[in-house]
Amino acid sequence: MNITREEINHLAELSNFDLESQEKEALSGDLENIIKYISELDSLDTEGVEPTYQVFEMENIWREDEIKAQDADRAALLKTAPELHNKPGVEDYQLKVPKVL
Amino acid sequence: MKYEITIGIECHVQLKTKTKLFSEVDNDARDKEPNSCVSPVDYALPGMLPRLNKEAVKLAIRAGYALNSKINLYSRFDRKHYFYPDLPKGYQISQFYHPIIGEGYMELPNGTKVRIEHAHMEEDAGKLTHFGSYSLVDLNRAGTPLIEIVSMPDIHSAADARDYCKELWRAMTYAGVTYGDLYNGNMRFDVNISLAKPGAKELGRRAEIKNLNSFRSVERAVEYEYDRQSKILDEGGTVKQETRGWSDASGKTTSQRSKEEAQDYRYMPEPDLPPLRLTEDFVKEEQDKVPLLPRDYRKSFKGKLPEDTLEVLLDYQPLMDSLSKVKDVKRISNLYASVLLAEEKSYEMLNDLPSAKQLDDLAEMAEKQELSSTGMKEVFMKLFDPQMKNKATRDIAKELNVIQENDTGALEKIVDEVLSDPACAKAIADYKSGQEKVLGFLVGQVMKASKGKANPGTAGQILKEKLA
Repeated sequence: MNITREEINHLAELSNFDLESQEKEALSGDLENIIKYISELDSLDTEGVEPTYQVFEMENIWREDEIKAQDADRAALLKTAPELHNKPGVEDYQLKVPKVL
Repeated sequence: MKYEITIGIECHVQLKTKTKLFSEVDNDARDKEPNSCVSPVDYALPGMLPRLNKEAVKLAIRAGYALNSKINLYSRFDRKHYFYPDLPKGYQISQFYHPIIGEGYMELPNGTKVRIEHAHMEEDAGKLTHFGSYSLVDLNRAGTPLIEIVSMPDIHSAADARDYCKELWRAMTYAGVTYGDLYNGNMRFDVNISLAKPGAKELGRRAEIKNLNSFRSVERAVEYEYDRQSKILDEGGTVKQETRGWSDASGKTTSQRSKEEAQDYRYMPEPDLPPLRLTEDFVKEEQDKVPLLPRDYRKSFKGKLPEDTLEVLLDYQPLMDSLSKVKDVKRISNLYASVLLAEEKSYEMLNDLPSAKQLDDLAEMAEKQELSSTGMKEVFMKLFDPQMKNKATRDIAKELNVIQENDTGALEKIVDEVLSDPACAKAIADYKSGQEKVLGFLVGQVMKASKGKANPGTAGQILKEKLA
């Protein structure tokens, strides 16, 4: 399986990674190996076998619709906001992020 | 029309649960400070696990019933990946492979059937406010439970697009699934529009108009897109497949982002949430809680009141509920449509409607002509008056002094008095000589003598007999 530079670029974009050229080079080798390893599964006949989504066999894990106090309040959560342009990343109790549209 | 228009609509409905879909914080963020209804789960702190709200599942089941859909007993959640600041996790928990609500349909008032492809549960994203060089993120809305209703491309006019959205709104609010406050974004519509030459086998390329939040803007956006796309096609061009935004102020759609490269959401099963396996009994129990829906009222009131009156009243579930309990549906529906809804504050009055007994009494008094049509309206309005509303209809009518005199004996006496009044002698002579219009004057005299309590119809009848 050959991973093209185009595919690496696409994956980097999807993952929001800014990659250097040599990183891309190394990654295509790594990914090729990983895919080759996983592809061993293709040798098995899975005809008629339902996909496995989880191994715990749990179902209907849900909770009642009740408001509960949280471990972390707004102040604690906003404290985790990263800075924006060397300034606090919070304004009017909101998270400040680079302009998006 | 030069081109055939084909429309499919996706509708997001916010469910009216107390808490969010996957966290135990307040789901009602109206009038609350930014980020005050946020848990570590909504904030996507590492290691936080979603916990499914059972009530959201129940409301989705009810929604499915209102959509004439079958409920898939087996369903589960998937991750839909994309990066945007209103989505801290980097993925939205949705249902892609196994949605809870299967195929169904909505029937529009004009009989058009719009098939529902499916509907699924998912979480809402946060709210962004854009400024010059930065944007602010409020996560109060992040994690609000939604169902997304996906229609088949069965809609072929702007009016049907509007009616479909309205019908969804009615169905969802009647079923008690959402507050349905459109202004606050409780329901939002994404409209896919494409044009093709009549008879063409393939649909044209489509544009998607995102985030419309009124029926009128859905209709206007479709009309605008028809013009825009047909102009492009007329000139031999091709319509770009893209996402467009609508501005109510300018009445135009504008390009937001090109969809030429297919979005790659990398859906994968959500490993943090085990699947749902519902029982028939559980589903039935929820669906039995759904009250009468617009489709039920259309069936039960068919032929009992004019269709246009019915369609006006169907916007107000409390009125339909009240109507379904009264005997004289036609008379009361007219009062609701032409008297109550004409009131400036009718919206507040809808919250506390008169009892069926009060309305039945009112209709009966009107039927027996104890109330004139003006008197009936007067008494009707008093049934909403905080000072009067708890009284019996007849007591209110007495208080207002509007009960008409139908007692023929008493009326005849009044008529005799009027006829013997010298002031009426000329009118009587005129009538006898064939001027029938004068009868109105004489009826007026009877009304005056009875202090307005005589039934003018009966009074006229007696006058005619006596003058014959």
